[in-house]
Formats: sequence, C-alpha cells, structure tokens
Amino acid sequence: MHDDLVKLREMREKALQGGGPERIEQQHAKGKLTARERLALLLDQGSFQELGALATHNVTDFGLDDQQFPGDGVVTGFGRINGRRVAVFAQDFTVLGGSFGYVQSNKICRVQDLALESGIPLIGLNDSGGARIQEGVGSLAAYGEVFVRNVLASGVIPQISVIMGPCAGGAVYSPALTDFVIMVKDTSFMFLTGPEVIKTVTGREVGVQELGGAEMHSTKSGVVHRVAENEQDAIEQVKVLLSYLPQNNHDDPPQIAPYDAADRMDDELNTLIPRDDRMAYDVRDVISHVFDRDSFLEIHPGWATNAVVGYARLDGFAVGVVANQPMHLAGAIDIDASDKISRFTRICDAYNIPIITFVDTPGFLPGVEQEFDGIIRHGAKILYGYSAATVPKISVVLRKAMGGAYVAMSSKQLRCDLNFAWPSAQIAVMGAEGAVKVLRGKEIKKADDPKAMEKEFIDQYREKFFNPYRAADVGQIDEVIEPRETRPRLIRALEVLRTKVQLNPSRKHGLLPS
Amino acid sequence: MGNMAFGLNITLIGMGLVFALLALLWLVLTLIGKIDNLPFFKGGEEGDAAEDEPAESYVVTERRSDEIDPDVMAAITVAIAAHVAMRRRQGAPSMRMTVPGSQIFASRWVAAGRTRQTGGWTPKG
Repeated sequence: MHDDLVKLREMREKALQGGGPERIEQQHAKGKLTARERLALLLDQGSFQELGALATHNVTDFGLDDQQFPGDGVVTGFGRINGRRVAVFAQDFTVLGGSFGYVQSNKICRVQDLALESGIPLIGLNDSGGARIQEGVGSLAAYGEVFVRNVLASGVIPQISVIMGPCAGGAVYSPALTDFVIMVKDTSFMFLTGPEVIKTVTGREVGVQELGGAEMHSTKSGVVHRVAENEQDAIEQVKVLLSYLPQNNHDDPPQIAPYDAADRMDDELNTLIPRDDRMAYDVRDVISHVFDRDSFLEIHPGWATNAVVGYARLDGFAVGVVANQPMHLAGAIDIDASDKISRFTRICDAYNIPIITFVDTPGFLPGVEQEFDGIIRHGAKILYGYSAATVPKISVVLRKAMGGAYVAMSSKQLRCDLNFAWPSAQIAVMGAEGAVKVLRGKEIKKADDPKAMEKEFIDQYREKFFNPYRAADVGQIDEVIEPRETRPRLIRALEVLRTKVQLNPSRKHGLLPS
Repeated sequence: MGNMAFGLNITLIGMGLVFALLALLWLVLTLIGKIDNLPFFKGGEEGDAAEDEPAESYVVTERRSDEIDPDVMAAITVAIAAHVAMRRRQGAPSMRMTVPGSQIFASRWVAAGRTRQTGGWTPKG
C-alpha cells in the first residue's frame, strides 16, 4: 500500500476516535453518547457522508498547538433519515469540550450553505462548552457566521436543534434562531449567563438545571419545544417531527398512507362539550377524536398550557392544529399563549402546512400584569400570524368565541377559508354578565329587585347571542355542523383547499409586532 | 249474543290448539336433548372414558414442536404493531404515499403560485 494511503487511513482513524478513549469513557459515564454515536442513531444505516473530517485549527496560543484533533470538535455532513436527505452537524464534547472556534464554524457554515442550496432540512446536535477562548474575538465572529446562516435559512428549510449537553453564552442563539429545539432532560442546559455570573452580579444563587434545564425551558421560558427523556428519545423525536415537515418551503410534507377512515364519525364528540358552559373539558380529547389516530404531536406541551398547538394528520396529510385549552385559564389568551400561537402559525405558513383552529376562548386574559407586560403587542402577533398566512386555514368554533379573541382566532376577516361552528358555539362581543351591566346597568339599579332583573336580562342575552346561528346569518360562520361530522368535513374541505394560492403584497418583509 | 259466544268459542279452540301444539313441540325437543346427552349416543369408547374422568372436563391440545409458544406469538404481534406504529409516526418510506421533496398536487398552479409567493429569492441571495 502506498504511504499516502496509509497516512490517510491513520488520520481517518484518529478522526473517528474524537478526543480519545478516555474522553469517550467520561462522556459515557455522564450518560451521554459521542457525536458519532448520535449520528449513527439519527441517520439511516450507511447513509452518512462526512465533510471536513480532517480539519484542524492552527492556533498556537495557550498551548493549543499541542491539542490538534482531526475534525476539531464537530462532525458534519449529509445523510438520510427514513430515506429523506438531510444535512447534519454534531458537536463533539470529547474534543476540547466541543469548544466553538473558527474551524467548527467553517464546517457548520459549509453544511448550512449546502443544505440551503439543496433545499434539505438541517439538524444540529449541540453539545459544546462554549466559545474557544484561546481564539479571542475570532470565535465570536465564528458564531456570527452561523447565526446569519440560521436567519437566511429560516422559513426556507426546516432547522431542528437538539440540545444534548451544555449550550451557554452566545451559543444559545443558534438554536434559538432555528425552527424547533428539543432538549434532553438532566444532561443538558442552556443559558446566556451561568450561575456563577448571576451570583456575582445579582447575588442570587441558582443551580444549573434550575437556571437552564429542560424543565425550566419547556415550562417557563418557552425556548424548548419538546423535552426528551434521554438522547435516544431526542433522536426519535427528531425523526417524528421531521415526518410532518417538507424538505423546503416549496415542497409539501410527505403524505402517509391513510390508515384511519376519512368518513369516521365519533359520536362521543357530540357529548364532549359539557352543557354547563362554566365546566372545563380537555380540548386534546377533541383533537384525538378528529384527527388520524395517534397522529397528534404536541409542540410546547408544557408552556402556555392555555393554548394547544401541534401537528397531526388528516387522511394522511400533515396539518397544524391550534386550539384554546379550557382546562387552563378557561382558555383565555395571555402573553405566552399569544407568542405560542403566532409562532406556530408562521411556521405552518412557511412550510405549506394547513392550519386547523379550534376556538373556545372567553377572550384575552384581563389583568394589570398582562397589560403592563404588553398583552396588546403580544396579542397582535396572533392577528398578524393568521392574517399573513397564505396556507389553507379552517376554524371550528367549539364553544366560546368572545370579543377580540374571536377575531384573532382565525376569523373570516383574517382570511380564514372556512369557518365551522358546533351547535354549542357562543359567538358574542362579550360575556353575558358584563354585557348586561353595560347595556342595562341603569335599569337594573333602579329596579325593585335588581338581581331578578339582572338574571332576566342575562337570560335574554344568552338566548339571543350564545349560539352560532346569528354568526351564520351574517356569514361569519359558513356552516353549523354536528360535532361528530368534524373529521369528514375537514378532510373534504382540505381536498379543495390543497391547491390554494394566495399572494401577499410584495415587500422586503412585514413588521411583526414584537 | 249468539255470534259473540260463537266467536269466543272459536278463538278459545284456535288458541288452545296452537298452545297445545307448542307445548308438544317443547316436550319433543327437550326429550331429544336428553336422549342426545345419554352416554350411549356419545360413542362407546369416549363414553366409557368419560365415566373414568373427573367431573370437570378440559381440552388438552398438544403443541407441535415447530409451533411457536402462544405467549411468544402474542409478544411478537405486539412488537410488530408497535413497530408499525412507530414507522408510521416517523413517516418511514413504506408508510409514505409521496416521495420526500414532492409537491403533492404538483400542478402548474401550485408550482407557479409558490414561486410567486416566495418572490425573487435565489439561494445565493
């Protein structure tokens, strides 16, 4: 064998070993896999084609010249997931703690560019201690190169980030700029400034997991879309999530062979909404009865739980589902729910995924804190998201649709294509108690028996407005349907709307309220 | 009055006859059932063997050596079902109706429409 071939094979072998057996053992001891093991789980067998496996840095400061590892802390390349072409990068914590320098940046940017030009999804597995301090400002510039590519690819190709270890400082902004973030419980964390800095600056002591663990980000900050029990689960979730997304913004998501009858009508839906409109119910029950069996993948299940969003299938076609959740805050829309819904509608619109909206909300959440924190501009995002979306949009009013929230939740005026309502729908400007005080307050005060008169007026108001028929009279509702008919109705509607093309005015970009 | 008495008489005779015949039929069927259950009619050897057996009878089926244990079979069935469900959730090739990267309704209408929706974008900016 030629010497040059021997040398190449030796270098390749060294690249495969990452930071060496000792570091790999330490990684395993923490319950974590190496970058290559993760890619082996993620990609179809034998499909991975690596790029930049032999790249090394040329920094000589602070003893870095002694620490040369082929690949330099990240494994990048192409592969297939269930036969679908994808671009991937996996940071290798065993090499200098996965620290981010110019070589790592160059390699990641290369696959970002190729993914964007090829129109294929990009998946990043993050496990890095942060910027490579020895490289100085060069490592910060390296982050910037990745961020700008994240932004240029946003809404063009699906970008999924999986946090499988540390992700701190500037590094957090790359996942935050991608479409979805999946985080592994216990072994990963994300924060801008760590517990030490926070203690120095504010004096407050906080643990790593409390500050930036999966639990916090999936319930409080909303940074993380899905939490995984372990790394295998995270990779499984990437595969499932990808099945609802297209290759790029010109394609459609793959259609799955239908396995649930299109004309299935569940009688349980007819009795699912409690007769007493003060009683709550779980809107996930509605979703599970309407969409293809077990097809619902919830996004942000632990954050802003007064709204439910996620992907599901109708007759094998991927759809986005938005719903108010009466189990939490009676389905009222607050700041977080506004952000959750608006972000989701924009992702669906970007990737040609029809949006199905189930409405049951008494309105935007009243409160001093909500007003102080900007419910107006956050709520406006929902209106913006629905109005700007050009994908097929269908709404079903299940029960309450009150005031501004009725308009915001995919009303006809926001270019919703079809608006259905169940007979239990209550479409009104405001609730009966409030409306009666405004309309008949003086009369009630003067009455001999104010309570009796108030009750009478409330009953009149409910009789008149708390039904879907007034809205149907004026064309705000296209059809009042039996709840059990919802599934076939939606499927038939989507059959027509699937070729819908709607254009927005030409512009550089809209100005989303923020 | 005479006609009414005649009518009642005929009704009584008719209904009586029907019920009598039904009772007779019931008797005959019960008798056949009893005779059929006699050991004599169950076959000589089986009947004799049955006398020696305990009161509770049960069926023993011998499994052939190449047959799979029912518990193993059940486990395999559950595993296959779970595998199919997972493959479906992942949108595996065998579960797909369209190849990745396709426009499901690949009409000129949709293709041209999406191009117009996305403006004059080119990969290189």
